[in-house]
Amino acid sequence: MSIFDIFTNQLLNGIVLGSFYALVALGYTMVFGVVKLLNFAHGELYMVGGFAGFLVLSFLAPYLGPGWLGVAVSLVLAMIAVGFLGVVIERVAYAPMLSAPRLSILITALAVSLVLQNGMLTLTKGQYVPFGAALGFGGVKLGNLFISYNQMILVGVAAALMLALELFVSRTQYGRAMRAVSVDKDMARLMGINVNAVIAITFFLGSALAAAAGSMAGAYYGSLWYFMGFLIGLKAFTAAVIGGIGSIPGAMLGGLILGLLESFGTQLPGVGSEWKDVFSFSVLILVLVFKPTGLLGKPEQERM
Amino acid sequence: MAQFPERPSAWGGLATLLDTPQKRYAAIAVILVAMAVAPYIFGSYGTVILTNALLYVLLALGLNIVVGYAGLLDLGFAAFFAVGAYTVGITTLHFGLNFWLALPLAVLLAIVAGIVIGAPTLRLRSDYLAIVTLGFGEIVRITARNLRETGGASGLIGIDSPWLFGWHIRTPLDFYYVFCALAILGVIASVRLANSRLGRAWLYVRHDEDAAEAMGINRVKVKLAAYVVGAIYGSIGGAFFAANLGAISPESFSFRQSVLILMAVILGGMGKIPGVILGAFIVILAPELLRDFGDLRLLIFAVGLLLIMLFRPSGIWPARSKR
Amino acid sequence: MRNVMKTAAGLALAIVLGVPAMAQDTLTIGIMVPTTGSEATYGQDMANAVNLAIGEINAAGGVLGKQLTSTIGDDGCDAQLAVNAASKLAASGVVGVVGGYCSGATVPTLKIYGDAKIPLIIPAANSTKLIPENPGNAFMINSTGNDQVAKAIEYFNAKGIKKIAIINQGDAYSQDLADLTKKNWEAAGNTVTNFEVTNKGEQDYSAVVTAITAASPDAVFWTAYYADGGLLIRQLRERGYQGLIAVGDGSNSPELFKIAGPAAEGVIAFSNPTAEFLPEAKAFAEAYQKQFGAAPGPYSTLSYDAMKLLAWALNTAGTTDSAKVIETLQGANFTETISGPISFTPEKTLARSNFVVLEGKGGAWTLAQ
Repeated sequence: MSIFDIFTNQLLNGIVLGSFYALVALGYTMVFGVVKLLNFAHGELYMVGGFAGFLVLSFLAPYLGPGWLGVAVSLVLAMIAVGFLGVVIERVAYAPMLSAPRLSILITALAVSLVLQNGMLTLTKGQYVPFGAALGFGGVKLGNLFISYNQMILVGVAAALMLALELFVSRTQYGRAMRAVSVDKDMARLMGINVNAVIAITFFLGSALAAAAGSMAGAYYGSLWYFMGFLIGLKAFTAAVIGGIGSIPGAMLGGLILGLLESFGTQLPGVGSEWKDVFSFSVLILVLVFKPTGLLGKPEQERM
Repeated sequence: MAQFPERPSAWGGLATLLDTPQKRYAAIAVILVAMAVAPYIFGSYGTVILTNALLYVLLALGLNIVVGYAGLLDLGFAAFFAVGAYTVGITTLHFGLNFWLALPLAVLLAIVAGIVIGAPTLRLRSDYLAIVTLGFGEIVRITARNLRETGGASGLIGIDSPWLFGWHIRTPLDFYYVFCALAILGVIASVRLANSRLGRAWLYVRHDEDAAEAMGINRVKVKLAAYVVGAIYGSIGGAFFAANLGAISPESFSFRQSVLILMAVILGGMGKIPGVILGAFIVILAPELLRDFGDLRLLIFAVGLLLIMLFRPSGIWPARSKR
Repeated sequence: MRNVMKTAAGLALAIVLGVPAMAQDTLTIGIMVPTTGSEATYGQDMANAVNLAIGEINAAGGVLGKQLTSTIGDDGCDAQLAVNAASKLAASGVVGVVGGYCSGATVPTLKIYGDAKIPLIIPAANSTKLIPENPGNAFMINSTGNDQVAKAIEYFNAKGIKKIAIINQGDAYSQDLADLTKKNWEAAGNTVTNFEVTNKGEQDYSAVVTAITAASPDAVFWTAYYADGGLLIRQLRERGYQGLIAVGDGSNSPELFKIAGPAAEGVIAFSNPTAEFLPEAKAFAEAYQKQFGAAPGPYSTLSYDAMKLLAWALNTAGTTDSAKVIETLQGANFTETISGPISFTPEKTLARSNFVVLEGKGGAWTLAQ
């Protein structure tokens, strides 16, 4: 392989990885934008989404087959199920805490994340679970660059979901309400907006996107693990911060940038796979220190 | 803020219960005697577990200063624990340094690390800070895993146990008493800090940063002080942890470790010293009690934490006991 | 209020820490394996095999005229939990311990068993870092990382391989194996094209795979466990890597084929002998299947042999006195095993290499040589 081939290959790797990061980062950013809460449990929703997709697929595979059709249907069902889980979590754990000090709600979010993680640990006994999808190995070869159909579908679905979300937020009445709540919750309530409904929708959408990413990751990579949400949750948060937390296009951009940083970082002498994560976390800290609003975020005054 | 809460005591409700010096001295005497005889009641396994619990008392007291006093959420506290442990491990193994010389070095390095990471980040919003500390914790762990000097993933093995005036601190019982002493010193330092000028500044900053600033408190400086004091506690805990176990590896300094210490602080009750001590004992004893539950014990723990946050966010220890 | 709390706390302490009463007519064997956490199935397989051996020993009259019982200490594959488990076992008056799966968790327990003078037989953990830490009471009956590396290099040489890529997972076991392989491979004048580290549970290895295919090594050596190995193998083959893929003994599991699918065809594993490849182990495998309703795991045979060895040493020494038992073990030439004869080097490691080469064929491991 020439340098150019390595470059194009790592570019592709970064885009695929970045799509996952972006999908998960969107949930962080939406929830943060609307309720100013850093939902630590978000990475776990990705994990639960993967397992939900696996469960549905194992029921559906005898009828729809383990190919893309079965995966697509289980993806949608997993998104709905985890979307509702997100709403339940918000109602049960976060809603009573919204007026509590920020420290308490952060710790509550951490506790929710530990409950989901250890609940799945108990269910799976800590084992890796093969996802059971059979997606084939076909693809297109462009010189030394091989792009599989799976990668195309995956990036395509991710892009479509993000576009749909962007349209939802910018064009629909609900989206407008969401933006109003994110600017000023009390004022929005006075204007007749059902704030609780808006918060529920936000959690539903954010969780559903994480579940979509989890299911797709399970189908694409092939296995699930109870701890798989931790690292991606951290990375997705990094992505959201790089893009500017609270900004939807920012989350997409941040996800892509982080995916590319990691895949090219692995190739860089002096970084390599060994130091790749130190590299990404250092970027996170540097961004927070020098440009806390990220690339596309708006400056905001902290309310204590 | 609706009303400024009455100034909480670091003692939780104990101050009202033990309202005369006689009662206080009696309580202290009872506790000291209990600590001294505990190993003879609980046997060698019990001593190891109690030693571990005392280590967590020390670590939780340190994190309590950051979280409970100053109100900063630190999710990477294990990093300072690691700095202490690795400094002692490396300097005693590779440079033949005496433990008692390595200890101040470990503290110094933790202070430097605390300032380097804290100074630029402590002006951030509190939830950003949580993530920065988490990232910092991971950076420290991965660095320890990758470097040859830190022994890589296997870590450092064969760290010598220290001598103190001709006493070779070696057996689990020796270390039990050492950790008893550390925990007592940790409590005394925590109490004095809470009642100091700095302690009052932390209280103001925690309750209302802007008002504190208006009253002439430099909030970044005050937060940094909390962060650094926490780092000192963590590094001392780490140094003795390394000497006790004789072997350290990066896995002991993972995110899980940070969460465990944080749980100790929160379960018992942030900012209240008896609560923090209780919390440290719970996080160490409960897994041993629940050994038969296997993996379920972690779930039980997580659910417990969630329930506490929802129904008793100020922790298990009562804020003020009724008479 | 306070008194109530104190009493309750005291009671709780007494329950956790209370030393179990010792029965006089039985001898207790400690089993230290992970029964929780990600390595729990391996640990359970090992504990089952030890208990199977104990059942057989008891049926044949027990040890020193007494029946054996066992108690499990869960090390969770975690150093701190392992120290607690070892302290608990050491304090409960066991006459010997069989255990040690995760090398990283086993290292800090050596001092505890050493101080308590309890003979320890380690059936699985085989990092070379264990050797200098052994206070003299621990015996490793699995071949060490050195033997595995020797086997791997021998195999690579036989296949005419000159350039390899080594990937580990950043834990004590896989990093030790990777470092040893790199050192010995380069000392023999060969090339290591890539030395990569992945994170446990990281699903996307594409960047590492690209870095490897760009360097086009003759072979890729994965030194860590099957779960992530399966994903890596799959991605290597998907991205068109054509060379040999070899894995260490941590990846010797049928689960690898479930995760990697057809990509695992032709993968080579260096492993200790597992029950299905040992003619002597047929009866063991059947008894195991009958009692536990599952096939023995990768370390079941060695755990079974470890228990048999310990019982033999107690009987031969004629006492539970640990100094005598340890002396007997050191001089052992024990052949009543299913995994081959056991005798020890002065370093208390297995005197011969027990590594075999397995090849993935049709979704299962087969003996390649």
